[in-house]
Amino acid sequence: MNTPLNRRHFLRSSTALIALPALESLGFRRFAAAAPLAPPKRLVFLGFGWGITTESWFPDIKKPGADYEMPAGLAPLARHKADFSIVQGLCNKYSNEGHWGSTMWLTGANRFAEPGQNFHNSISADQVAAAKLGLNTRFASLQLNGGENAEASGHGPGLSMAWDLSGKPIGGHKGPVEAFHRLFSKDTTPIEQQKAMLAQKRSVLDTVLGNARALQRGLGKTDTSKLDEYFQGIRDIETRLSKDEQWIGVPQPNAPLPEPQPGLAGREEIKVMYDIILAAIQTDSTRVLTYRQPVSTLLTSLGIKVAPHDMSHYHSTMGEKLDASQRRDLTQSELLSGFLDKLKATKESDGTPLFDHVALAYGSNIRTEHNLDNCPTLLSGGGAGIKLGHSIVAPKDTPLCNAWLTLLHGIGVNAERHGDSTGVLKELIA
Amino acid sequence: MKPFVCLLSALIFAQPVALIAEETASRATMNERHKAFLQNHCEGCHGAEKQKGKFRVDHLSFSMTNLETAEKWQKVLNQMNSGEMPPEDEPQPSRDAKADFLEDLSNVMVAARRSLSDQRGAITMRRLNRREYRNTLRELLGVEINVSELPSDTGTGGFDTVGANLFMSGNQFEQYQTLGREALTEAFEWQAAAGVAKKLRYEAETFTPIMEKFVAHQIDARERARNWVKAVEEAAALPENQEVVARLKKESKNDAIFRRSWEKIPGAPSPRTFGFDKKGENDADLANDSLGAGWLPYHQYYLRQPALDRGAYLGIQTLHPAEINANYIELLVPFDWPVGDYIARIRVAATDDAPPERRFLDFGIHARTGRVMATHEITGSMEAPQTIEIPLTLTRGNAERADRTLFIREKGSWDTNEEGGRKRSEALKRNGIGPELALWIDWMEIERVPNASKPKPPGIAALSIPLDDKAPAPTPQEVHAALERFASEAFRGTPPPPNYINDLMALYDVRRKAGDKHAAALKETLSVVLSSPMFLYLVEPGSDEKRRPLTGLELANRLAYFLWAAPPDAKLRDLAGHGELLQPEVLAAQTERLLDDPRAEGFIKAFTHQWLGMDRIDFFEINRALYPRFDTATKLAAKNEIYETIGYTMRHNASLRELLKADYVVVNRVLAHFYGISGVKGNAFEKVSLPENSPRGGLLGMAAIQFMGGNGERTSPVERGAWVLRKLLHDPPPPAPANVPAITRLAGKVLTTHERLLAHQEDPQCASCHRKIDPIGFGLENFDAAGQWRTEDSYQATDANGKPDPKTKKTWTIEAAAVLHKGPAFKDYFGLRDIVASKSDSFARGFSSALIEYALGRPCGFSDEPLVESMLQQSEKKDLKMREFIRALVSSKEFHTK
Repeated sequence: MNTPLNRRHFLRSSTALIALPALESLGFRRFAAAAPLAPPKRLVFLGFGWGITTESWFPDIKKPGADYEMPAGLAPLARHKADFSIVQGLCNKYSNEGHWGSTMWLTGANRFAEPGQNFHNSISADQVAAAKLGLNTRFASLQLNGGENAEASGHGPGLSMAWDLSGKPIGGHKGPVEAFHRLFSKDTTPIEQQKAMLAQKRSVLDTVLGNARALQRGLGKTDTSKLDEYFQGIRDIETRLSKDEQWIGVPQPNAPLPEPQPGLAGREEIKVMYDIILAAIQTDSTRVLTYRQPVSTLLTSLGIKVAPHDMSHYHSTMGEKLDASQRRDLTQSELLSGFLDKLKATKESDGTPLFDHVALAYGSNIRTEHNLDNCPTLLSGGGAGIKLGHSIVAPKDTPLCNAWLTLLHGIGVNAERHGDSTGVLKELIA
Repeated sequence: MKPFVCLLSALIFAQPVALIAEETASRATMNERHKAFLQNHCEGCHGAEKQKGKFRVDHLSFSMTNLETAEKWQKVLNQMNSGEMPPEDEPQPSRDAKADFLEDLSNVMVAARRSLSDQRGAITMRRLNRREYRNTLRELLGVEINVSELPSDTGTGGFDTVGANLFMSGNQFEQYQTLGREALTEAFEWQAAAGVAKKLRYEAETFTPIMEKFVAHQIDARERARNWVKAVEEAAALPENQEVVARLKKESKNDAIFRRSWEKIPGAPSPRTFGFDKKGENDADLANDSLGAGWLPYHQYYLRQPALDRGAYLGIQTLHPAEINANYIELLVPFDWPVGDYIARIRVAATDDAPPERRFLDFGIHARTGRVMATHEITGSMEAPQTIEIPLTLTRGNAERADRTLFIREKGSWDTNEEGGRKRSEALKRNGIGPELALWIDWMEIERVPNASKPKPPGIAALSIPLDDKAPAPTPQEVHAALERFASEAFRGTPPPPNYINDLMALYDVRRKAGDKHAAALKETLSVVLSSPMFLYLVEPGSDEKRRPLTGLELANRLAYFLWAAPPDAKLRDLAGHGELLQPEVLAAQTERLLDDPRAEGFIKAFTHQWLGMDRIDFFEINRALYPRFDTATKLAAKNEIYETIGYTMRHNASLRELLKADYVVVNRVLAHFYGISGVKGNAFEKVSLPENSPRGGLLGMAAIQFMGGNGERTSPVERGAWVLRKLLHDPPPPAPANVPAITRLAGKVLTTHERLLAHQEDPQCASCHRKIDPIGFGLENFDAAGQWRTEDSYQATDANGKPDPKTKKTWTIEAAAVLHKGPAFKDYFGLRDIVASKSDSFARGFSSALIEYALGRPCGFSDEPLVESMLQQSEKKDLKMREFIRALVSSKEFHTK
């Protein structure tokens, strides 16, 4: 059972299609690097849990187009006005949970879709992209999380914003320090030893796989599919190890930023995490990123004492809750604006700005309070070739997944549909 | 015990499956009387003739027996909740008719969701959840490690034992490996240090000369500063400096700032010549500060106290602790002391004049972050101080200085800077000195207790080979056998497959060949066991179609993870292995034994926390300016009161009714003081009788419960009402619907809470739920946001700058009288409590459902109604005694069936 042949066989026989490391791919990369190549496309999702302040975040819904007046909540983004669009009218029609800002944001799934179960999810848009864009980078995708309890920030269940092909949660890196190390910690181990360690890791996987197979005997269907998560987990590590193998001898990129201070929270944390995302793109470590941002600690870092959930219910009293909500909007916009600055200022090898090759979505499944319609959606970056600089109003309750599908198509991932999509969002086509 | 057999047959014969299905169907069905509503308000556009939006309701089945129908009704509900249907320009239903329709539809929707997600008794195989994983390592290796990096396993709404919601991922697998390795390292260190005894005492009077020196320094520095100021002023007064001085004065806000520019005044001397050197910053700052001699009177007051030759007082934070620290005493556990069991001891007294609220001592680790671990009331006097003992465990997680520095401090004296500052300035205003000194410390001591005589934890005992490299490494045969014994122990008695042990052995060999010593290779190999599926999953093989009874070992696992959240011990496994556990009387006796064991706390805490929705307690902080008494220690005690009370009722097999109303509370001294109740004798939580007419006693009287029903600042009758409906009356309101238009017109108005909430009655979308929720909340308004009893409340609007505007302040006497929707009226909190207490049958039903879900690891569906009924019947015969529910559940067919 321990021969590599068997393991490969196991990988091939799995239901999910796993891209095995093709030996050529490394050679191809090296060959290709000699000729100038168009910079690759990237996809970035930035999600915040508790939504925004409806009254001051959205442009006037009655005046769509390029000449819209910048709403107060987006004011810090004014200098980028020509380079992003706000889309109104989008929603995930199956969403019912007023405290789940991120669980189904990128999936559009119906939590009740599976009879006999009370929770179901499906693949998220980033993972659809990662299956194609992730083949040639060190990490197929990166999932980043705020360094705090996701529930306090209104994100809902999930280990990150990403969900895999079978709708299971994908783990994420918590906070800037962890993310930094994942990306840039140098492996100074000699190559032979690295190979030996990989072999050891594979033996570990073979051992636990053997154990899982022994356990699988005699299980019913439901339990087998539960155990499949374990198999899938091991498969994911296998895929990663194969990638590691492919990358042995290719040194980790130099970190374009210093190691973050431990203990950053809230505003500073988001700022540094944006720098890390930028660095990950810049070094082409990955082309697909999601970041589930902290909201609870963001408030604390602004000296706001209103509890985050309470803040989103500002309608009953306005006053300090509304104030907190609006200050949150402003800070988030400021941070995003800074991130866009850096995307524009950083150049690709061909001299074009990174910004031109990134497709970026920023938003939440929650608008305000428990409102799950007109999900706040800001799209930016030149990567997907969508219409920028506009306040776009889609017909009411257009699937949010139509926007995701449009972005996927724009970056060259021609999925037929995504989630509950009914087609691309024609209002977004430039 | 016969009931098991009887019950089994009763279940099988008395409840034909069809009946259950019928029952389910009727709950997930809209009442026919609503046909008219649809005909009158919907079918015009969504009927046979027109199908606007391709949606028609005339064909819509009233029974939501499939997902498709349920989704269509969900759409109806969403459209009506958002106020879009019926359209504004169409005739509108009356407010009450719409509210009634919405109420029914919301409830039927909940029933439909529940019925459609009913697992019909099928239990999905589950992995150990986060806390079970921690406990299982603890039982196996004798150490407790921090598992907070793992996902919390909550969030989908159910209990964290529900297998279907317990996921696994590649990341997590690696975390298990890391944590397993950590646990093994910790365990190996415990074994290595088993016999180590250490003791260290800090005599508190060590501080006295430090304070004396500091006071002398303050007086001297003040004198020097005065002299420097005098010299600067003399220079400034020189006629030739008039111009420059005038300009500098104009630029400076005050004299101190003016003096910072001494260099520009010809003739003014450098502060350094007076001994002020601020190391590169402006020396004048140091001189200016010294002039004020901050807190000198307080420090001098300190030195006037008696018994300074024998001890020290715990005061307030005056200057930065790096300068002088009279606020807390710290004790660093030396870095070379190993992991293990420790005891901290403190000899302490309260001063003669200390008021009752200031006779409490906080103990914790790392004063700067202030995590309070224990709080003791101090009853010792200056003549006869007392010695407090606090047991604690230090692990590898306590390696850093901050994590091994113990501290003691007066309770709540410095939980936050604002709060400490507030207390300080209040006292200063009162007496010109600062808060009076209330606690005196003789000494503080830390001792490591050898644990060599304790039996080895089963995992370590199973290995029985050397765990370090001092002895010669064991032979491969010995390692092989050790791995097999360890895996069998880790897999809770299931023998590991032979191939698996061979694979492990190969891993061990590879590590050894790669240069690892025995101990390192062994640890690495064992960590694989701790991330293997047979360790991580509670396995009950069987097909989906054919249910089968559990084996003895499976039953032992189910029982132990239910009542301990930990694996079965040797005794239980022994009984299971011999088949005796399957005998009802043996099972009953083991159930009692498990409930009596301290490990039952693993069940009580986790179950209570989730059942009562206690996560809200940690969602927000109290506003300390408004509720200064609800300090960190009090909040902790209030939270623990809930666990301790449920634990008490379970230990003493009290009636579940006592959770609704009781003539006693289970509190410690901290909470008794907060409640104004006397009679606590020991230092832990204990039962104390209440005076007549006390609002305390039962869940509703608990500070933490009422705290959850607010936001730390104001109360929320809605949160409270919904909680009572959900948790006590088993009549949960449907989840807060999405997309209901917010009521904004009252914002900024100065209204009583009651007046504000009346707005809920206007819109039928709101009224459909709030007419049930809000009256209950009104009845609890006598509890403030910290759970203290009050008779009036007030509200202030905020001005344009977000500051409360005192001109708008409105104060009112609380009217707790209300009428329950379709129910009786009550005139005050006590009336409401009596109504709630009279519904103990509903409470018992909710409790039973929660137990079923928690214990079986699957949602409690409609198909479980017979089980709930039988649990109720059995418990009612015994006055709803807590353990009867458990006994009934454990002896049920469901508990014994895969």
